[in-house]
Amino acid sequence: MEQKYSSTSSKMDSKEVQMLKRALERQKLARQQAEKILEEKSKELYDMTRHLKAANNKLEGLLNKKQTDLSDSFMDIIDPYVILDLDYNVITMNDSAIKFLGVDHRKESINVGTMVHYDYVNYTLEAFGSLKKIGILRNYQAKIVLKDKVQKFIQINASLIYDAEQNPIGIHGVMRDISREMEIKELLDEQRRELNIIVDNSPLGIALTVEGKIIKANPTFSQLLGYTENELINVTPKDITTCYDEEECNEFVETHNQSGQDNISVTKEYIRKDGSTFFAKTNINAVRDQKGEIKFQVVVIEDITLEKELQKQKEQLLVDLEASNKNLQEYAHIVSHDLKSPLRSISALASWIKEDYHDKIDEAGQEQLSLLQEKVASMDKLIQGILEYSTANSSQLLSSEVDLNEVIDTIKETIFIPDHVNVTVPDPLPTIVGDKTKMQQLFQNIIGNAVVHIEREVGLVQVLFKDTKEFYHFTVEDNGVGIPKEYHEKIFKIFQSIGNKERSTGIGLSIVKKIVDRYEGDVWVDSEVGEGTQFHFTLKKSVLTNENIES
Amino acid sequence: MNILFIEDDAIETMKFKRTLAKLNVKHKITEAKNGEEALEVLGSGDQLPDIILLDLNMPRMSGIEFLKILKADEHYKYLPTIMLTTSQNRADLLECYRIGIAGYILKPLKYEEYEEKLIKVVHYWEASELVKA
Repeated sequence: MEQKYSSTSSKMDSKEVQMLKRALERQKLARQQAEKILEEKSKELYDMTRHLKAANNKLEGLLNKKQTDLSDSFMDIIDPYVILDLDYNVITMNDSAIKFLGVDHRKESINVGTMVHYDYVNYTLEAFGSLKKIGILRNYQAKIVLKDKVQKFIQINASLIYDAEQNPIGIHGVMRDISREMEIKELLDEQRRELNIIVDNSPLGIALTVEGKIIKANPTFSQLLGYTENELINVTPKDITTCYDEEECNEFVETHNQSGQDNISVTKEYIRKDGSTFFAKTNINAVRDQKGEIKFQVVVIEDITLEKELQKQKEQLLVDLEASNKNLQEYAHIVSHDLKSPLRSISALASWIKEDYHDKIDEAGQEQLSLLQEKVASMDKLIQGILEYSTANSSQLLSSEVDLNEVIDTIKETIFIPDHVNVTVPDPLPTIVGDKTKMQQLFQNIIGNAVVHIEREVGLVQVLFKDTKEFYHFTVEDNGVGIPKEYHEKIFKIFQSIGNKERSTGIGLSIVKKIVDRYEGDVWVDSEVGEGTQFHFTLKKSVLTNENIES
Repeated sequence: MNILFIEDDAIETMKFKRTLAKLNVKHKITEAKNGEEALEVLGSGDQLPDIILLDLNMPRMSGIEFLKILKADEHYKYLPTIMLTTSQNRADLLECYRIGIAGYILKPLKYEEYEEKLIKVVHYWEASELVKA
């Protein structure tokens, strides 16, 4: 059961960890891409700013003359470049800007203020207000709506243009299409949100650690330990785990580094903030940087207190069961002794009355005393039978090599066999590993049953054997009175005696059934009334050989 | 012979005395109803018995407990002790032989059979050399 549980649980672990890993991987890739683009663009931007400054002076004059033809190389730059008056009307712009904005200032008048997306109007007013005050605007980012309703994310770096008297007369700026970057950023945000949803809602406690310090933990992790996430940042592994061995930990990190084995699973005991403890399956995954050094570790913990408790309960139950089984057997012996002792007394007293007062008691009285003794005898047999039945499936089997031929010989010497009945073993029986007493009980009860139910002049009981793949198959065949079909199943139930013999207690065959069950075999009857009976039973080989051989 | 017979059941004691009464040779029987009483008899300073017949199932101190005390004693451990019981418990039988007994007799149901069995036991010890402590 335990095995089963842990395998499904670890499957869940690894599945979830795989999912998280993939999400992390995607995020990493996207971030790298974004960083690269940003790096390139900021270099361009830097160059651009230098250009802008240089061009500023030249521009002043140009603006005054409203000269649209800027024969400066500035107009040839790749990024859209726009010159505005202080009311944001386009004075001039380069080809790149015309192409990007989809409008031509030479054909129509353009006010860029109208292009700003509704959501960004306030921000834009603020930004350009500040531009007019301080003369420069950096990293303005907004959404604009182009003619065909296409929305673009742009970034603008701009500055004021001054005349010779240092009065602002216009604005010029370089625009950059950052739609793609924003998309990536949004994607990143989305992924981060997704990842957070997974992490925050995981039934597993997840934490990110650097050199044993927790730098991030999900709610489950915090809940399990009873700390807030902020408090967790200040706890050391010693605070939250027992049996934490620094050496062991160092060793662990070392093997981690050397073997490149990045995943470890252990079951550890954790201490909550309130001092209580719990057991958790712990999975530690190392995340390495490009040099292969461990950057941080992802710790995933799963509370297994309940499983531990169940396991403990199970073990306790087994111990209890064993004890109670033993008690029961002891009890059976004691009860049988306490019931048998008075029977011995009664029997003795009846004998003495018969002997001591034989001249005073008439024949009828003698007869009654005999009947009394017979009843006592059958009661004694019944008690013995119940005792045997109750101990027939004792959990402790004393296994050894048992020569079944010897067992049959012993039985022939022990039990009462009428003179006209012959018990034979045509072919030698095997030697098997099993509990000798149980084997004897098994054969004795079947043979004992067979020999007393033969009314023919010559009775024959044969013990036959067949070796099948999984089982030993035994048959005890007699030429007795036979058993009517309706009783074929009933006879194996306790106290179900169908014979009219006084001596029958109805326990013998139920003992047989119990022993056969113990060896995972089967017992059944083929019988023809007046012809004879075949008792079949099987014993499973694997169960027999699995029993420990008594040393 | 000097026999210490330890038995709590009065009829069992009657059975044993009746059996011995049929023998030609007369034996001295000292009765004890339980283990404590038997230890008192042994410690009274009188001559120790030649053999002890002991019922396995007795109240308070069981036959096996009594046997353990006996076998742990420097002097008493030489006394041949024969168990009488109706119990066919194999665990008991093994435990008794492990501690050290001189016989383990299952009491038959029929008195006649009991008599036959016990006479054999007495005859055997009559034939045997005794410690005579």
